[in-house]
Amino acid sequence: MKKNYLLLILSIVIMLLSVTSCSNDSGDLTNVVNENETKDTIVMAIGSEPDEGFNPIYGWGRYGSPLIQSTLVETNANMEIVGDLATDYTISDDSLTWTFNLRENAYFTDGELVTADDVVFTYEKAKESNSIVDLTVLESIKAVDEFTVQMKLSRPESAFIYSISKTGIVPEHVYDNEYGEKPIGSGPFKFVQWDKGQQLILEANEEYYGNIPEMKKVVILFMEEDAALIAAQTGTLDVAMTVPSMSSVEIEGMNLYSADTIDNRGITLPVVSNEGKTTSEGYPIGNDVTSDIAIRRALSYGLDRNKMIEDVLSGYGVPAYTEADNMPWFNEDCIIEYDIENAKSILEETGWIDSDNDGIREKDGLKAEFSLIYAAGDSVRQGLALSASNQAKDLGISIKVEGLSWDEIDKRMFRDPVLMGWGDQTPMETYMLYHSSNKGVDYYNPENYSNEIVDKYMEQALEATDSQIANELWKKAQWDGKTGTSTLGDSPWVWLVNIDHLYYVKEGLDVGQQKIHPHGHAWPLAANLRDWKWIK
Amino acid sequence: MNIFKYIMFNFSRMIILIILVCIVTFTLVVNSPIDPIRQYIGEGNTVSIEQRGEIEKYWGLDESKIDRFINWSSNLLKGDLGESLIFRKSVISVISERAINSLFLMVSAFILSGMVGYILGLIMGKYRDSLLDKIIKSICITFTATPTFWVGILMLIIFSVKLKIFPIGFSVPIGITTDNINILEKIHHAILPIITLTLVFVPNVAMHTRSKTIEVLQSDYVLFAIAKGESEKSILKNHIFKNTVLPAVTIQFGSFSEIFGGSVLAESVFSYPGLGSTVVQAGLGGDIPLLLGTTIITAIFVFMGNFIADILHMAMNPMIREEKV
Repeated sequence: MKKNYLLLILSIVIMLLSVTSCSNDSGDLTNVVNENETKDTIVMAIGSEPDEGFNPIYGWGRYGSPLIQSTLVETNANMEIVGDLATDYTISDDSLTWTFNLRENAYFTDGELVTADDVVFTYEKAKESNSIVDLTVLESIKAVDEFTVQMKLSRPESAFIYSISKTGIVPEHVYDNEYGEKPIGSGPFKFVQWDKGQQLILEANEEYYGNIPEMKKVVILFMEEDAALIAAQTGTLDVAMTVPSMSSVEIEGMNLYSADTIDNRGITLPVVSNEGKTTSEGYPIGNDVTSDIAIRRALSYGLDRNKMIEDVLSGYGVPAYTEADNMPWFNEDCIIEYDIENAKSILEETGWIDSDNDGIREKDGLKAEFSLIYAAGDSVRQGLALSASNQAKDLGISIKVEGLSWDEIDKRMFRDPVLMGWGDQTPMETYMLYHSSNKGVDYYNPENYSNEIVDKYMEQALEATDSQIANELWKKAQWDGKTGTSTLGDSPWVWLVNIDHLYYVKEGLDVGQQKIHPHGHAWPLAANLRDWKWIK
Repeated sequence: MNIFKYIMFNFSRMIILIILVCIVTFTLVVNSPIDPIRQYIGEGNTVSIEQRGEIEKYWGLDESKIDRFINWSSNLLKGDLGESLIFRKSVISVISERAINSLFLMVSAFILSGMVGYILGLIMGKYRDSLLDKIIKSICITFTATPTFWVGILMLIIFSVKLKIFPIGFSVPIGITTDNINILEKIHHAILPIITLTLVFVPNVAMHTRSKTIEVLQSDYVLFAIAKGESEKSILKNHIFKNTVLPAVTIQFGSFSEIFGGSVLAESVFSYPGLGSTVVQAGLGGDIPLLLGTTIITAIFVFMGNFIADILHMAMNPMIREEKV
């Protein structure tokens, strides 16, 4: 018994001690700033850490920017390709040989020059990493001289430049298996410390060849949204990622910042009818209702996207019309108006009529009825699916909503519509979603869509050696005046919304001009961290 | 010699248990509806079919389930838990990196909740049906019914947001490099999660000890001792303590596994880097080697807990010693 008392007393003493020792707040970055100097530090909670560490070879920096490493080229706020490590690049007439001329004044933070060898090393290493870094199109890469790199592609793929813009260059001379835990790069920020599962500490790279960041010290905390919300309320954070369901909380001294995205959601509609065919795994293909283009178009015109945004996303979103709204390769002709009368007349004209007055239209004895599947556990998808189902009733189309695991969705997505989402910052996504070579493959094209004319445009876009020309061709794939993948054309998807990404941001922090964010919510906000500043 | 036999017997039981745990976990993981490749690539990432195939090969998903199990278990016999797929380093290093933090939380909470719970139980038993007993009992029942993460969030709101006494989580101060951190700061960061876990596990021991104490106080031998004029102190020492401490220890060691589970939740609320978050990542990411590795370690851990309880029993209670040996 005595011992117990002793231990108890001891632990109480320790508690008291530690409380007093930390009450002077020596341990935390204080947010107190002198009257006459601007703050130059930032603390943020923006999602989770990369499991493999900060190693571009395994995919670090593909959502946003690698920060610590620099890339050959990068995308600016308008998603145009601009030089970074490479000052310029040329593509051969057959679209297969890409030559990059490197700047000669880039140094890794250990003082070594960045040369063509480092680039070759990075790409060769990444190619064999079996990771998210997809370099399958890259056949070979070699250093022509100290500052010239030449890539050979196995097939034309102009969109590969967007992949290059996300691949940070690592130093060959210090690279080892532990690299991701103590990375050295030539980017705007220098790695200081990583406490696994907790925080990453960076400082401005004063030797950087570009504009030296104004944020001299950056702390990125890894915490769940609810923990981040609590932390923000204590005034510890300058930026905290949040979600619509939590965004009603007012935090003193912070504003809600909502970023535009292509984090889209839409419905895949099988375009082939059910002829009893199955996939190689034996899953049924085709849907007699959605294979009628009138149904697909009527849904596109007859679903009120703005109502969905209000009801499901608390207003944080914008209507979506294609997979790539507002990207340089987006065709603005594809924007349509919500028009329920138009939707109804499309159905009437094609013979979808409710003759037995049960509220559901029929055509040749077939009821306008189908299942809509979403990934169970995702409340936003559930909300959108239910909203679509409710609104479709007014059109005389009956949609049965089902939440299933991905496992089950895999088996049914070739027959039943699915509520899915994409949003990668590359036109390659357009190719993957609509090209006939992906017909009936995986999640990309479960609707079995194919269109020869669209195929042609996309192939030409990949062969284009000029991004302007490529973008024009991607636009044509969406709608060329006669056909395309959008609602005006074949409408294999009904795109519904782009979901805004929300962050609490301290008053007086300028996060610069943001790119349109991709599907991943968190890191993209910090892609332009080097442009952030505190405004007095 | 007999004790040695007993230990060997238990040790072989543990081996059998681990083998069973391996088989069951493996079966569950490979048949789970989570597609590890899909989890790894994430949505909205355009990775070509070709590259997906490469990743599948690298993760060994192109082999049959039986082959995968044989590969993995034969490596295990060599003492190699394999490579974590998502962390891309050996499972041993991932676990050892994080186990220290978790153990610190768990062991502290384990000892603290055991002691506090036991003392509260004694008090409640001794003054049963008094106002004090009723208050402590209500608190215990409340915390029994409250989920760990909720207690954690309340703690954060009270002590970090409102009172600003404790940090908002993590095991180290924010934005400070390692060489500027002292041990007191680390303890300071661990206090809230430890208190949270302790609060959740106190009721278990406390309520149990309460009923045991009442049982002992109503027994004939205590009545006899009182009649004999034995002092309160001596009754407490010779009768109550001796008859209630063993069950309390057993209960406490028996809840080893729950403490592990509770720490997973507490770690997520307090952004505390431990095994808990690793298990969650491994499970959701379909990282089979890491998940199996952590499961084995946990199984050994829980088994050892029960085993220690057994040994303690033997050491403390001559009756059991006679029986067992």
